[in-house]
Formats: sequence, structure tokens, C-alpha cells
Amino acid sequence: MGENVVRSERQQIRVLLTKIGLDGHTRGIKAVAAMLRNAGMEVVYLGHFQSPKGILKSALQEDVDIIGVSCLAGEHLTLVPKLMRLAKENNVEGIPIVVGGVIPDEDVENLEAMGVHGVFTPGATSHQIISFIKDAVREKRG
Amino acid sequence: MSTKLDRLTEAYYEKVKRTRTWSGIQLKPIYTPQDLAGVDFERDIADAGQYPFTRGIHPDMYRGKLWTRRQGWGYGLGEDTNKQLKQLIEQGNTGLSIYRDLPSANGIDSDHPMAEGEVGVAGVALCSVQDMEAIMDGIPLDRITTSLLCGSVVAPIMLAQYIALADKTGVPRNKLRGQVSSDPLMGYFCYGKESNPLDLCVKAAVDVIEFCNKEMPQWNATYISACYNLREAAALTASQEIALGFGHAMAYIRGAMARGLGIDDIAPRANFYCNVGIDFFEEIAKFRAMRRMWARLMKEKFGAKDPRSWRFRLATQTSGASLTKQQPLNNIVRAAFQTMASVIGGAQSVYCTPYEETVCLPTDLGQEIALRTQEIIAYETGVAAVADPLGGSYYLETLTNRIEEEASELLDRIEEMGGIVEAIRTGWVESLLDNQLTQYQKEVESGQRTVVGLNTFVRPPREGDFPGGILRIPAHVEEEQIARVKRLKETRDSPKVREAITNLRCTAEKGAGVNLMPAIIDAVKVYATIEEIQGTIREAFGYTWDPMDMRKSPF
Repeated sequence: MGENVVRSERQQIRVLLTKIGLDGHTRGIKAVAAMLRNAGMEVVYLGHFQSPKGILKSALQEDVDIIGVSCLAGEHLTLVPKLMRLAKENNVEGIPIVVGGVIPDEDVENLEAMGVHGVFTPGATSHQIISFIKDAVREKRG
Repeated sequence: MSTKLDRLTEAYYEKVKRTRTWSGIQLKPIYTPQDLAGVDFERDIADAGQYPFTRGIHPDMYRGKLWTRRQGWGYGLGEDTNKQLKQLIEQGNTGLSIYRDLPSANGIDSDHPMAEGEVGVAGVALCSVQDMEAIMDGIPLDRITTSLLCGSVVAPIMLAQYIALADKTGVPRNKLRGQVSSDPLMGYFCYGKESNPLDLCVKAAVDVIEFCNKEMPQWNATYISACYNLREAAALTASQEIALGFGHAMAYIRGAMARGLGIDDIAPRANFYCNVGIDFFEEIAKFRAMRRMWARLMKEKFGAKDPRSWRFRLATQTSGASLTKQQPLNNIVRAAFQTMASVIGGAQSVYCTPYEETVCLPTDLGQEIALRTQEIIAYETGVAAVADPLGGSYYLETLTNRIEEEASELLDRIEEMGGIVEAIRTGWVESLLDNQLTQYQKEVESGQRTVVGLNTFVRPPREGDFPGGILRIPAHVEEEQIARVKRLKETRDSPKVREAITNLRCTAEKGAGVNLMPAIIDAVKVYATIEEIQGTIREAFGYTWDPMDMRKSPF
């Protein structure tokens, strides 16, 4: 599973991608997974039926650099806030969390205020997502 | 200004870039009688209402009956959805279509831990018959047709809730008309493998077919929603949509035949819920190809003798995935073309997807515009007055032939693998979906496919892009629904529930060939919940109580 390499020494970026809650629309997140793998990143894809607690647990177990959450059915208003709260409470804030999917523009500000590092909705290009992730991880690794 | 004028000149002289259909079929600049050299009118085209029904399944098509305007809705509590359905009827909807929420689709109750944040959100909760009662309050079941959009393994339970309500309100079962999208194999991909194990998927569909054959002859017991949903999930081509949908249908038909039903008991009540994409002519050709393929499949392969078995009954929904979040009012235009293609393509029912689909459930304004779109097409454009208006077109007939060829080849390949369930089990279908989606995504990003507002003619979002607003689920819904479910579990006749569940379990344990519908209906009537019923069935077949393995049976 995880290598015996301290995260900051590892070159390759390790990304956790996941759905949250019950939604089963995986078209977007699968496209992102393919895109990131093509860019040389390591992708751990959790799939669906993931709770906020489960996602954070997996993120720590898998020793990832960044978490990407896909929402379609309104989870960004209910479960993502819970995810962000749990991350804070459990001191997991070191791992940036980005969110994507069906998210009205008017909700993006709220998500960012909660600490979501970035929001990507349909139309975001691979270039935008990849450079954002690279920058976020570089910043985090210091 | 000079660069703008340069651009204008360039645009003025612009040529058609894309010479393939949306699905990738290479097109000629023009089609001529030569292209139809091998076509025999009687054999391949015939008249509307005549085998092989290429031109439509009824001789008089819309002069006999207009297509059903079947806008779907459903969110919040049962009584909220009841209001939405009534509002749609007032606005011109002529058939009901109800979305259910994700916990219900996955067979868990509103009070399940994984239901958090999901109750009444993507649809309305159908946790128990109490919900169905609230949803359909004041709507006479013998005077309307209803689509219960399910597409997962709990279809029998939702149908049972509807039947229980009919029994309670004195409507004879043989008067019920409509469908529950009992295409659980689609749920395997769209809702989750854990909640839709393949054996339970086929059993659920077959139980519904067998039960309805006896008790509900007017109900459409085979309703293949894979066509719409798999295409949405993976940007499938027209022929892939056909092959996978027909593959699903054949799995259920064979399952029902193994129980002793004849093909003519099954096929007359089979319907398909299909996608309408943005390539206008290709979609029309696709529907014509589907009709001809189905007719031939039923008559020649399955030996159906009843002409009603040969008729491919088509319901459509305009593609949500073809819409954009950017400049969303453009979606009204897209949905209008797609609705028009459905009508010219001879659909029996149409759902015109509202413009805000890319960000939320339909708003009042979105639904209104969608219905008006249907009505303008029905009453102003004149396209409904003549059956199969494009029949005989050198282009359309060629394209129809081509799509049928490709779809037949793919379906043959699925058959060689042992049918769709095998094809799913071996991962072949999943590869197909993944590869197709990756390909499509590449083409959009590289600009090979133009999507207006997304990769061309872009502009930043603007105030007023969504004049109907964004639909929000009120905060109290989940809390209230959970409270109702808890109250229900406390106040219902527990011994009766226990008895019904025990009976269900014993029946299920008798094996996959024993129909569970009667036992499910009995359980539903005493207010057993969807999780209690599905959990009991799951355990009888060796699965965990719930798909996430978080709760245990309370019985």
C-alpha cells in the first residue's frame, strides 16, 4: 500500500479521488482520474458510497498529497461541509481538498470559505486541474 | 477593430468542419438514390404501422394520439412532490414521471447513516408506502399513466408501493397503466455494484414481468432505461446505446421465458426509455433503426407471433449530458431540437429536459419552458401531422441502415459472449463505457468536438444566466422525513411487519425462481420499509443486509 517514503521526499504526486455520499455518477471523476494518471500522478480512486469520515481515513491510510471529491446530487451543501469540519477537528487540514462536479457558481464562494482549496466544474480543462494540483501540492510540501 | 473584421471575414467564409455524425459515422456530402440501391421498400421500410415498423408503430401515428408529454419531477417530502406533479398536470404534462432519492434507489431507509445529506435531494424518498400515499394524494390512479423512475434492483418494491396504494383506493390492478423502470442491470453501473448484484438485478426484473403478466396486463413490465442512462454515463454512440439496451431487454426476456412465459406474453409490454442526443438526423435514424431491429429480433429470433410483440415502444428523454452549465439558456435550444428529433423519430412519450439540468433539479420556470417547447412542436410546427416525414430521404434511410448494421454487429458480439450479464461480469461492458467516455472527453478538450459555450463562444458567467433560479432542497426535509420514518417504525403493527418479513424471507429462500412480488406487496401494506424488504431479500441470497454493510436486520 503506502511506500516507506516520507511524503515530502516522494516526487510523484499521490491523489485520492472519490465520490461522496450515495451518488453514482462517475463520468466526471473517472475522466479526472485518467487525466491525472496521464500526467504522471498516482491516483487512488475510492469509488462511491464514501462517507466524510471514510474519505479522511483513506486519505491518511493512503498517505495522499491531495483529495479530490466529486459531487452531483447536492452533496456539496451537506456532506462536503461535514468533510471540511471533520478535517479541521482531526487536524487533517494539511491535505488540501478540492471539489468538482455539479456545483452552481453561486456556491463556490461558500465552499472556498469553508476551506475547500479549489472547485472545478464541467468545462474545467485538464491543464487547469493538473496545474492547480501541482501548485497546491508544491505549496503544501513547502 | 481590424482584428475583429478579420475574424468576421474568416467566419463569413467558414466551412463545415465536422463531417461525421456525433457517433462518428463518416458522412458523404450528399446522398442519392444509388445509396438506396439494395433497399426493398416492403421489406425494409414499409408503411407506418406495418412490419418492420421503420416508419412508426401505428398507421396513423400522431393523428391517432399525440405523444405523451411526460416531464419528470420529485424532491423534498411526499406532499411537496404531490404539488409538483399537480402543477405539471396543470401546465400541460399528460403523463406522470417521478424521481426517487438516492437512499431509496439504493434500498436504504431515510434514517440510514449513509442517507445523510441525500434524503429527498435527488428525488423524493420512497421509504415506505406512506410516502407513495403522500406523493399520489388526490391523483386517481385509474386515470393517469405513471413512470416510476427507478433503474435499480428495488423496482419491485416501488411497484409494490404503487399497487398497495391502488388496492387501498379501490383501483383494480388491471386498470393500472404506466411503468417502473425495472432495468436493474443499469443500476449496476449507475447506482452501484454493491446495491445491484447481477443475480438480484435479473431476478427483480423477471419477478415484475411475471407478476404483471398475470395481474397488471396494462402495465409496461419491461422498461429498459439503460439506453438513456448508460449513454449519459459514458457518451455512448447511437449503436452502443442500442446494443446495450437490447442486451438488457434480452436478458430479462430470457429470464421470464425460463419461468414459462411465452415471448408474446412479454414483448407487447416492453418499452424503451431512450436518449436523444444533439445530432438531429442521427437520432431520428437511430429510432427508426431501433424499431426495425426490434421487430426483426422479436419475430425472427424469438419467434413472436403477436404483432404487438413486434412493435418497439419508444419513450425519450432529451440528453442531460449534452447540455452545458455555461450560458444555460442555450440548453432550451438544444432540448428543443432534441424534442423535435423525438417527434420526427416517432416517440410515444417525451421528456424535454429543463435548461437548468446541469446545476440542479428542474425549477418551475425550467419545467414551464420545457412543456411549452413540447407544445410549440405539437401545435405550431406541423411536424406531427405526417408520419415519418423523413422516410424515403436518401440520407435518412442510409443512416438508418448504417446504424442498424453497427448495432446488430455489437449485439451479435454480446450474444457470442453469452449475453449481457456475462459481458458485464467479465468487465467487457465497463471497458466499453470507460473507453468511450475517455475518447469523447479527449475530443471535447482538443476542440475536435465543438460545444458552444463550453469550448467555443465562451464568456464568463453572468448574473441572470439562470432566470429560474437554482433549485434548493429546503433544510427541514431530511429531518422531517427521518422523523416520519422513525415514527412509522414505532407506531405500525410490529407483529404484522415481523410476520410479513418472515414470510418474505421464507419465500426468498425458496430460490431465485420464486416470485417475490406478492410477499413484497404484503410487506409494503403493513408499512415495512424499503430497507427492511430489500435487506431481507439480500440476506436470503447471501448478501449483507445493506449494500454498505453498516446496519443489521432488526428482525
